[in-house]
Amino acid sequence: MSFSTIMSAAIEGLHVEPVHVETDISSGLPVFHMVGYLSSEVKEASERVRTAVHNSGIQIPAKKIIINLAPATVRKRGASFDLPIALSLLSALGELEAKKLKRTLVIGELSLDGRIREVKGVLPMVMEAKRMGCVRCLLPKGNAPEGALAEGIEIIGTESLRQAVDYLKGEADILPEEGGVWERYDTPLPGMVDFSDIQGQESVKRAVEVAVCGGHNLLLIGPPGSGKSMIARRIPTILPPPSHDESLEITKIYSVLGLVDKDRPLMSGRPFRSVHHTVTKAALIGGGLIPAPGEISLAHGGVLFLDELTEFRKSVLEVLRQPLEERKIHINRAHGNYVFPSNFILAAAMNPCPCGNYPDFSKCNCTPWQIRQYLDRISQPFLDRIDICVEAPKLQYEEIRESVPKETSAVIRRRVEAVRSIQQKRYEGQDILNNAMLGVRQIDEFCRLGKEEEFLMKQAFTSLNLTARTYHKILKVARTIADMDGGGQIRLPHLKEAIGYRTVDKKYWGR
Amino acid sequence: MMYEYWLASIYGVSAAKKRLLRERLKTAEAVYNIEEKELCSLGFLKEKEIQVILEAGKREVKGAYERMAEQGIAFVPYFSAEYPKKLKDIPGPPYALYVKGKLPEESVPCVAIVGARRCTPYGEEMALRYGERLSRAGVQVISGMARGIDGAGQRGALNGGGKTFGVLGCGVDICYPRENFGLYMDMMKEGGAISEQLPGAKPLPGYFPARNRIISGLSDAVLVMEAKERSGSLITADMALEQGRDVYALPGSATSPLSTGCHRLIQQGAGILISPEDLLDEMNIRVKGDLQIISKNEKMLETTENLVYSCLGFIPKGVDGLIKETGLSAREVLEQLVTLELQGVAKEISKNNYIRIL
Repeated sequence: MSFSTIMSAAIEGLHVEPVHVETDISSGLPVFHMVGYLSSEVKEASERVRTAVHNSGIQIPAKKIIINLAPATVRKRGASFDLPIALSLLSALGELEAKKLKRTLVIGELSLDGRIREVKGVLPMVMEAKRMGCVRCLLPKGNAPEGALAEGIEIIGTESLRQAVDYLKGEADILPEEGGVWERYDTPLPGMVDFSDIQGQESVKRAVEVAVCGGHNLLLIGPPGSGKSMIARRIPTILPPPSHDESLEITKIYSVLGLVDKDRPLMSGRPFRSVHHTVTKAALIGGGLIPAPGEISLAHGGVLFLDELTEFRKSVLEVLRQPLEERKIHINRAHGNYVFPSNFILAAAMNPCPCGNYPDFSKCNCTPWQIRQYLDRISQPFLDRIDICVEAPKLQYEEIRESVPKETSAVIRRRVEAVRSIQQKRYEGQDILNNAMLGVRQIDEFCRLGKEEEFLMKQAFTSLNLTARTYHKILKVARTIADMDGGGQIRLPHLKEAIGYRTVDKKYWGR
Repeated sequence: MMYEYWLASIYGVSAAKKRLLRERLKTAEAVYNIEEKELCSLGFLKEKEIQVILEAGKREVKGAYERMAEQGIAFVPYFSAEYPKKLKDIPGPPYALYVKGKLPEESVPCVAIVGARRCTPYGEEMALRYGERLSRAGVQVISGMARGIDGAGQRGALNGGGKTFGVLGCGVDICYPRENFGLYMDMMKEGGAISEQLPGAKPLPGYFPARNRIISGLSDAVLVMEAKERSGSLITADMALEQGRDVYALPGSATSPLSTGCHRLIQQGAGILISPEDLLDEMNIRVKGDLQIISKNEKMLETTENLVYSCLGFIPKGVDGLIKETGLSAREVLEQLVTLELQGVAKEISKNNYIRIL
């Protein structure tokens, strides 16, 4: 036997491309040649593989060895091809039983001494293998729990090349990694935050609950130290927990970036990503030569928090407009297009003026001009994508000292789940999931107003100088508030509360 | 008239000396044609001023004068019938005024509303209110069209359907500050913009204290709505006193730094503003018929609305503060606030911060 082929996979963005590692050994001048559109780290694999094979006690004969990674059109990157190359070589040499490698996906990086190191992107590769009909995956031991998340495929975690060879020869047995135990972690992680930690801020809590119920983006305005980020950090705790499929989808993104926890690989909670205002476009939406997912994709299914919104570079904020609208991001490169999911709730926080104390005139010394300039750093189109705007006031002493037990996240979450299920029922068969996603035509259908309500909106439209955009946003938020009251008609109190949450048009702000 | 314009446009000779020259030589044309020798013999001009006048004599002013006329800017020199009589009485009257729109009518009372540019919502609201009520009573409102109180007073006057005049610290063809462009345009319809600076003059800081004397000079009374301890509005008040005008100050909270200047004025003997009606009474202006507006707080408000409304004041209050004061829930408070806002008795001045409007 002088030819063998082994299945492996390459990752492009979030997409998995199957790769076949072929080895041919023939007589001729002794060479070790690797082909197949390889990046330099894959070319270096030849040294790693030969040394590791040698150090595992196997001699490579002085023959002409050609290794091909097919298809040749896909660029191969990363170190995860080390193990398949080594096994393919050994299989061609007749060191292993080829039939055990049939319908088996192999990934792993080799250390010079023959140990197998962990690699990135295991979960998407394993899931793709399962889809393609593979029955078994040979993974680095450390990645085995992650691979086991994709149930219905045998996961074999190996620690060294020697162990893998023994297993494939049938000389040693390795128990498949057990899946299914990761379904939900009911014990909270240490350092878990909870809404009951927050003192005062009743109005903000209410606004956050409305936002979460309807999936609305949220802007918190308040002086420094009013607990804006503290509140934002707790938003994921009142979101309904992700379903198993959602968890897997989130985990896949983290897996590609090598961010999964080795012991608890499943992202069973909602992510919270707090982005610093010095962030670059590429880091935020994803980028790189071969684009990798950015912060907005890491926040997929959870919350993206932008603190000090006015300090972000304007161009960086503008790139958020498309993902906020479409809930995914398209990144185009000369060699291909990449789509990353980015369905998140945006929570942003900012000060009301440069010094942060407006409208407390005993402290704020900002001129109207300065305030205007400050607010101008956020463009109107960006503000238009935020449905709810609320002030986070400075805490008073009594509030800090207060020790009245507050509602826990779990209590609020149960309410949120109920409101969400109302929406799910209503939008069954539609392409939307929640009120925030309502389009103009859908607003007409689902946010119908009575006579009195119509009159109020007319009055508000003229006396509060509303724009068409704000008008629609108010209706969407009112829909959510009505849903929180059981999902009936939108009534006057719902509309009024929604009007109170509108993002103030900058023209009328700060005088 | 062109010679008057020529004389007025000379920089470097004071208005008083220009007037003296004009009086001695009877016409501005004579000043234009004067010989150096004669100028020297007049005796009150300095060497440098003589040079300035002679230099200016060589300048072409016809073009500039005609351009000004084309722009619809009226030129009102001291020695003309249109020149406001009130201004002739003040110390250091300007040699000429440039007017876009109209000058205030002489027979109608004029009141100046002045105050801080960076004012509180209280001051702004009060300026609006005084402007509106006074103009309803037929009073002409004069101010400096600046940010804050000035602009609010004039805006109020326009709301009241009356005339308002802005005395600018730059050329009348320039709108400064730019954000008051709407006001500038509206003001022009009924009232006008007035300046002693040539059209096209930039708003230089030096011009502003000087224009304050024109504001007070054109008025019968000066109302100071809000002023810090050291403030340009107090300069206007000083000038008003010097010119023999009445000064009134609006009292405010003892803790507000923006009311200290007003309180100081009251301490020094300025009149106190209790209500626009009271002021009109004191100025002997009879309010015609139904000008009295029904105070909005007499409006029927429902009990919860009233509860929230009663907690509002001129110091902005947030929703959380109101929750604590009223014991209502967040959604109820917000709902009531929006109700009040839609009724026009409350105003959101920053996100979720409301003040009351009477």
